[in-house]
Amino acid sequence: MRITQGMISNNMMSNLTKSYSSMNKYMDQLNTGKKISKPSDNPFIAIKGLDYRTQLAQVEQYKGNASEVDLWMDNSDSALNGVTAGLQRLQDLARQGANGTYSESERLNMKAEAEQIKDDLISIANRKVNDRYIFNGTDTKTPLLDKDGVMSEDSKNQKPILIHVAENIELQANVDGAKVFGGDFFKNIDDFIQALDSNDQTGIGKAIGTLQANIDTSVNERANLGARMNRLDLIKNRLDNQEITATDIMSKNENVDYEKAITDLLTQETMHRAALAAGSRVIQPTLVDFLR
Amino acid sequence: MSTFHGLEMAKQALFTQQMGLYTTGHNLSNVNTEGFSRQRVNFEAMSPFPSASRNRPSIPGQLGTGVMAGTVQRIRDAYLDSQYRTQNSKTAYWETRATALNRMESFMNEMDETNGLSKTMNDFWKSLETLSTNPENAGARGVAVENGVMVAESFNHIATSLEQIQKDLRTQIGTYNDDTKEYDGKIGDANALLKQINDLNKQIGEVEPLGYLPNDLYDRRDRLIDELSSIIKIDVKYEKSGDSSLKIADGIAVIRLANQDGTPTNHVLLSATDRNLTDDKIGQFGVTDVSGKNAIGSITFTKAGDSNGNFEIENDDFLKYDGSLKALIETYGYVKQEGTETKITGDFSDTLERLNKLAENFAKAFNEVHQTGYVVLKEGETATDDKKGKAFFVTKDGSGSITAKNLAVSSEIREHPDLLAISSDGKFGNGDVAKKLAEVMTEPLKDNALGSQTSVKGYFQQIISKMAVDTRAANQRVANDNVLQQKIQNDRLSVSAVSIDEEMTNLLKFQHAYNASARSMTAMDEILDKIINSMGLVGR
Repeated sequence: MRITQGMISNNMMSNLTKSYSSMNKYMDQLNTGKKISKPSDNPFIAIKGLDYRTQLAQVEQYKGNASEVDLWMDNSDSALNGVTAGLQRLQDLARQGANGTYSESERLNMKAEAEQIKDDLISIANRKVNDRYIFNGTDTKTPLLDKDGVMSEDSKNQKPILIHVAENIELQANVDGAKVFGGDFFKNIDDFIQALDSNDQTGIGKAIGTLQANIDTSVNERANLGARMNRLDLIKNRLDNQEITATDIMSKNENVDYEKAITDLLTQETMHRAALAAGSRVIQPTLVDFLR
Repeated sequence: MSTFHGLEMAKQALFTQQMGLYTTGHNLSNVNTEGFSRQRVNFEAMSPFPSASRNRPSIPGQLGTGVMAGTVQRIRDAYLDSQYRTQNSKTAYWETRATALNRMESFMNEMDETNGLSKTMNDFWKSLETLSTNPENAGARGVAVENGVMVAESFNHIATSLEQIQKDLRTQIGTYNDDTKEYDGKIGDANALLKQINDLNKQIGEVEPLGYLPNDLYDRRDRLIDELSSIIKIDVKYEKSGDSSLKIADGIAVIRLANQDGTPTNHVLLSATDRNLTDDKIGQFGVTDVSGKNAIGSITFTKAGDSNGNFEIENDDFLKYDGSLKALIETYGYVKQEGTETKITGDFSDTLERLNKLAENFAKAFNEVHQTGYVVLKEGETATDDKKGKAFFVTKDGSGSITAKNLAVSSEIREHPDLLAISSDGKFGNGDVAKKLAEVMTEPLKDNALGSQTSVKGYFQQIISKMAVDTRAANQRVANDNVLQQKIQNDRLSVSAVSIDEEMTNLLKFQHAYNASARSMTAMDEILDKIINSMGLVGR
């Protein structure tokens, strides 16, 4: 084949352009840390990348949601703890009051304490966290009870607060206040206080049993809550694992392998230098240089 | 045998070698001229003496009478030209297509982590989920609404950008200018090239019958034909320009559209007789649009001089003819006949249509869910039907149908985020509907609105993946075709390009011959000097 100077320069230019474009690719990879910079570089990686990113965003969000559930549960738990403690104290008072050795004036003192405890229980039932009433279902603007501890049928709300903690998994974050504080909860306490007031020993004795019923409901609800807390812990662990896995897969999918990219760049650079050196020698001389 | 035979022969030799030197000089001057083919003087020995005739002198013969320049010819291979042009049509097609698709991709680059529709959708989804856990939080509510606005704006941005490029593609195809009565763009380029080629045909047709070879005109014509082959696939045949033209003369170029396999069609773009017509009478390309749509209806070819030469390439028939014009129309949009149905297709048209379908169905599904929720109730209000959510996504211009371009968030909701209806029972702490709104993006839409088991995000990924695969294919073809084209171009250069070394060698060759001829003339001169000044002086 007949080769002319023009062809050599053309070929040299096109080879150098190719070489520059590969170096540009490796440089891009090293600068951005990504194997690809646009979907057409590798559609398969790109689409998988979009999926992984969505997955990761979801896991991150579910983790956020889970801490929100945590907050609800911790607050409900400590509130129920207070309820049980209050009720046990009332039961203690009832046991003391039922004992014949106490005088009427002592029972009146007990009554004063019982009334304090009742007020305390009302305030627990109307507990507010972050400006939300935690025991009135989704109606977080309205307290469960009025200040006398009366639960009106209109204002009570038993709808569970369900929060997404994983795909298609919703966890109830709140405790149904109406179940704990409803029914005969305050009637039992009021009866007990009434019995103390009227120095009615049999009434007081009866209160030991009715208060136990109150304690049972609140303990049951707390156990229920505890079970959900355990489930939440499991889910949180799983979310942590999922986050690590998703990040890892995403990184494997689209992040550049630095050792490889640097080696590629160095190889390309060597080839580029060789091409430049060869080209610069070939394009220089013509016959003209040797004719005198 | 004449006394001055030698002198005359030496003179001829000087002239001929000089011509060789001049042609070498011409070649060297044009060493960097695009499309130039090296030329060579065909030396021929002159007719010998004596020739056969009754009164021929009776001498031994025949005696050589020297050299003359037969023809000046360019060195070129017509077969390589036709190979080059076939490849050129393909390369130009893929290059133009790749450019258009790369531009589309630059506006839909979902790999960009700070931007893109997927990113804004993820953000919107997250903010709705956050809101579902904190329905009372006014901040979270505002963020959710604003992220909805971002989603709408992402749709708007992509759609407007794509429409802008689409408009640009239409400009590149070429539009008719009523003042100049001519097309611009690729159509205009093709028309101008036809005129210029016709003009060269005319000049060549005048020169050739005189027995000359208009090499430089040939080169210019070949370059123009190369250029035309990048716009549309053509076949070139040559017709003799006249009875007295040389056998090795190229002749008049006749250009036809060519089929995929390279065979000529009967659509003649430029005929041999066209060189007798004025510029405004030869055939010209044109395009027709489908009214009201972003689509090309047909490519027309109108010959003012002879309406028999008119033809029209309708619907997707233009896909047969490779070249940049095909790529532009194919990416812009065109009419396709499917059975009895006509439909508008094309890369940009299709992508925009898919985006519109996505925007419309997403907005519809989102609004449906939003309308099941209750807005934030004010003191004393109850959860009645008139407190249910209104449309969250609306159109910018108030028109009935939602498209990607006019998707917007209701301005009322933007001003009063309380109108975002996320409560399923009207209670403040209820965020159930927010969860359902978030699900609109990730769960398959009902009634298979976007295809079976396809969610909004999934459908968008389909759009991206189709675009990415198409763009990748085009980019790869460009790389491959460039290699092929360079190979053919090298073959062509190998035949036609000027080599400086070779020309220098020729230069010396001719110079030596010139010097030798001059010496031979000196010898003749000395002989004549002897005859004239020294003969007949015996003994003086």
